[in-house]
Amino acid sequence: MKTKEEILNLEVCECGEKNVAQAIEIFENTSLPFKKAKKLVTECNKSCCRAALLKIHDMSLYGRYDYEEIAFIIQQRLERLKRLSEGID
Amino acid sequence: MYDYEWDRLRVWLEQYGAIPQSVEKKEELTRLDLSKNNLKELPQELGILSNLVVLNLAHNQLEELPESFCNLTSLSNLDLRRNSFSIFPQALTSLDLRSLNMSSNRLESLSFLEHFKELRVLDLSHNNLEKIDCSLDPKNQLRTINLSNNFLKDIADLFPSVPHLERLMINTNFLREIPASISCMKALEEFEASDNHISKIDPVFFTLNIERILLNSNNFTSLDLQGLELLEFLSLDENPLEELSIAQNFAPYLQEFSCDSCELEHFVMLQSRYLKSLCYASNHIQEIPTEIQEYDSLQELDLEGNDIEELPDTLANMSSLHTLYIANNPLSEDAKKVIEVLDPEICDIRMKTGVEILNATSEDLEAMAKLLGVLFAIESDFEIDFDKQLRGIKRLFEDDRNDLLVAKHEGKVVGMVTMQRLISSAEGDNVGQIEDLVVDEAYRKMGIGSRLINHMRTIALDYGYKRIQLAADVNNDNALEFYTRRGFRKTYLNVYHYKVD
Repeated sequence: MKTKEEILNLEVCECGEKNVAQAIEIFENTSLPFKKAKKLVTECNKSCCRAALLKIHDMSLYGRYDYEEIAFIIQQRLERLKRLSEGID
Repeated sequence: MYDYEWDRLRVWLEQYGAIPQSVEKKEELTRLDLSKNNLKELPQELGILSNLVVLNLAHNQLEELPESFCNLTSLSNLDLRRNSFSIFPQALTSLDLRSLNMSSNRLESLSFLEHFKELRVLDLSHNNLEKIDCSLDPKNQLRTINLSNNFLKDIADLFPSVPHLERLMINTNFLREIPASISCMKALEEFEASDNHISKIDPVFFTLNIERILLNSNNFTSLDLQGLELLEFLSLDENPLEELSIAQNFAPYLQEFSCDSCELEHFVMLQSRYLKSLCYASNHIQEIPTEIQEYDSLQELDLEGNDIEELPDTLANMSSLHTLYIANNPLSEDAKKVIEVLDPEICDIRMKTGVEILNATSEDLEAMAKLLGVLFAIESDFEIDFDKQLRGIKRLFEDDRNDLLVAKHEGKVVGMVTMQRLISSAEGDNVGQIEDLVVDEAYRKMGIGSRLINHMRTIALDYGYKRIQLAADVNNDNALEFYTRRGFRKTYLNVYHYKVD
């Protein structure tokens, strides 16, 4: 089980090189809708980290963060990437 | 007769706080929530709950279920999300489940589905499925299936087996096409297939009665959109789409259309006159047609990040258009004038950057007292009196149980909010009373109010406040909507004043 600090340090977006804490800060400092706010984090038009960022954005709207949930989504994506690198598709 | 099994089960359930004290007999238990308990196994005695209808076992570490589960003959709704099942539990196959959630497990096969005739809702997202290897009962009642985040390459065999399906989510797989077999999905209303490799759609797809389609992040380079008579929502974001053609008969009732981050060079007009939201952001569009004014219901237009220099004068006539995103375009002065005349409530090029949210300092107090005058001009219960407001804000500032935040732009206070610590006997702990949220008129519709509230909520969380609360003027519709959108719920309490002097 990761601590809150460890989860805040997890990289959530490779393109924008942002961790969870940075994504939270960006979302808290804008009221742009998700599609626009996401680009502030990713600095690109790709969708690889969309699921995790959407969850963080939703949480930022309500000011309550479920860090375990965020870590789970990031982990799920990493596991999927690992499985893909092992030969699926 | 004493029921030893029920007694043992009751003790076990009590240790997880899963059973109300009022429940005396096992027959009274119809719902049970055992989620988030790190359970690795369950007691056989659970099978005696023959009246159980809803069972939540999500967020545990289960790999199998007791055989006695086959006796849960009333069970209709089962949640097994986020467990560790790699094989479908045999004990469930004899039950008439109507809703089953096995998202985020390790299932590799769908073959268990042949046992379920009554199932309406099925969630198998985030598993390890690679193929459709089931033969469903022809009389199955499936209405919603979520197969997102698996490893499926082809779902052509699924469609003929689920003729009543209304919602299909199959995002983040490896699909390459929407095959002709989808023609049998006459009841389909929602279709989500984003994050696949789809580059081809069989023409029969356009004859269906789907209302909502998501096809973001696929491999479409060109699309000929036609038919889809009942379509209301279509999103094609993040496709390498260079060519888009729209037939006369395409989606006459379309309300939302999005082609964000594609490769389009032309603004393509849609036939629907019911469009409320249109997005062509991050393309290579240079010209906006004058016919855009035909969208007289359009409320939100997103053209950010294109190559637009000029805007048609007709844009200024679109009276319903309240939100315009147009930043990151080489706009001419004439185009900026069109936006000025249109005067949308929200426009990204008008949003000021560099607004900071800071703790108030003693130098900010006068400016804050002046801002309160703006607020009290709206709230009929209060009168504007600068001296009183300054005295009040100074007292708040000097009491370290209170928090005062300001929004500043180029050194000027343009917004504020305060929070006072109260003790709630209902909560048995501290709560925060939010007051005085106000933003200078010239800085509204830029999200500053949201940022002030978000910062204050973070402070309340850090303090461990059990609740934050506020009162808003019943006639201030903007404020009431603002708080509701941010998760505040209206209470059944009224606020009363009694003037002591």
